[in-house]
Amino acid sequence: MTPAEENAAREQAFRRLLRERFGVEGEADAPLPDDGVVVDRAHHVDLAKALHKAGWQLYVTCAATHFPAVPGKKPTDATTPECFEVATVLRTVGPGSHTARWRVKLAVGESLPTLVPVFVGADWQEREQFDLVGVHFEGHPDLRRLMMPEDWEGHPLRRDYAIDTPHAPWR
Amino acid sequence: MAVNESERSFQHPLYEVLERFPGLDLATTQVDKLLTWGANNSQWIFPMATSCCGIEFMAAAASLVDLDRMGSITRGTPRQSDVMVVAGTITVKMAPRVKRLWDQMPEPKWCIAMGSCAISGDFYRDIYSVIPGIDVAIPVDVYIPGCPPNPEQLMAGMLRLQEKVNLKRAGLWSPPETRPETPKTIEPAIKRLLHQGRDRRIDAAQIDQALSLELPVVDLPPLPEPAPEKGEDE
Repeated sequence: MTPAEENAAREQAFRRLLRERFGVEGEADAPLPDDGVVVDRAHHVDLAKALHKAGWQLYVTCAATHFPAVPGKKPTDATTPECFEVATVLRTVGPGSHTARWRVKLAVGESLPTLVPVFVGADWQEREQFDLVGVHFEGHPDLRRLMMPEDWEGHPLRRDYAIDTPHAPWR
Repeated sequence: MAVNESERSFQHPLYEVLERFPGLDLATTQVDKLLTWGANNSQWIFPMATSCCGIEFMAAAASLVDLDRMGSITRGTPRQSDVMVVAGTITVKMAPRVKRLWDQMPEPKWCIAMGSCAISGDFYRDIYSVIPGIDVAIPVDVYIPGCPPNPEQLMAGMLRLQEKVNLKRAGLWSPPETRPETPKTIEPAIKRLLHQGRDRRIDAAQIDQALSLELPVVDLPPLPEPAPEKGEDE
């Protein structure tokens, strides 16, 4: 099997896994959306475990994004509420490496189950997202700030964090 | 050996012994010269290299410029070093760690601020996580401006430091270096959010536009007419 064929087979397996077991809509072999597939929060850890078992053994990254509340275009329209998205990226190792990525949407105050029991490398990645965006990872063994000082207030990569937020000059 | 800051002179127990015997003053002077020569040519460096200036520092330690010619060896511990070269942006989290390492260096010690980020924070100075120059945390003897300064500039800075050490050991006053500020760092081209001359209505419109995730037409009231400049009329 050439690397290209290997990659195509992985892509097929990933699509089928999502459609058959994790409630993603669409035909079993239809291509996934370009901006990443959205998975329900309850399936997050199960999907990671299934992918780990099926050969996606390299935890690349996770990235959280903050979306502020957006008012409707007309005064009568409803306001889109504030929310968070956490994207997770896994890869297979070897020739024809395939990248599996999915997103989980979170409301304000909702936490995401941690992936540290599945991938040890998720430890500092999740600490970083907790520090900068303020997403809480449920069951994380050591959820402390990673980048900012320990006594920092607020999460700097949120959209509503002003660039000139005052802070102590240095401590 | 101790430095008496009020009289700007050096004290050593050996001097007191030598001064009791007539005719040994000359030896004291010669020993002092020898010690100055030794101190000048063994300025061991502790590299506080946090970003890209550290690459230029490595180039200065490599064979083309070669800081080792003047006896400057790079040490990995502050307890064996005389000079701290702060090369790079210092963040709010890093500053107390730099101060702690500086406190661990034995006296006499010197500090070189290398590059515009270490001098003033440069274009990062208004960001929430960056301190505006390392001299708010530790005293700086030599400023080397540049972004980054090339290895020859670092070598020139080390030679300036040698002159300062010479003067200080001779008990003479050396003028403190002033912090070089470029017009860019004093008056940034892009006005900061706290800047006086910035129009708050334009800020609000920009924030609205960014949050609404589309491109609406914002109806701004007309801006006040700027006052005519006197120089052009006359």
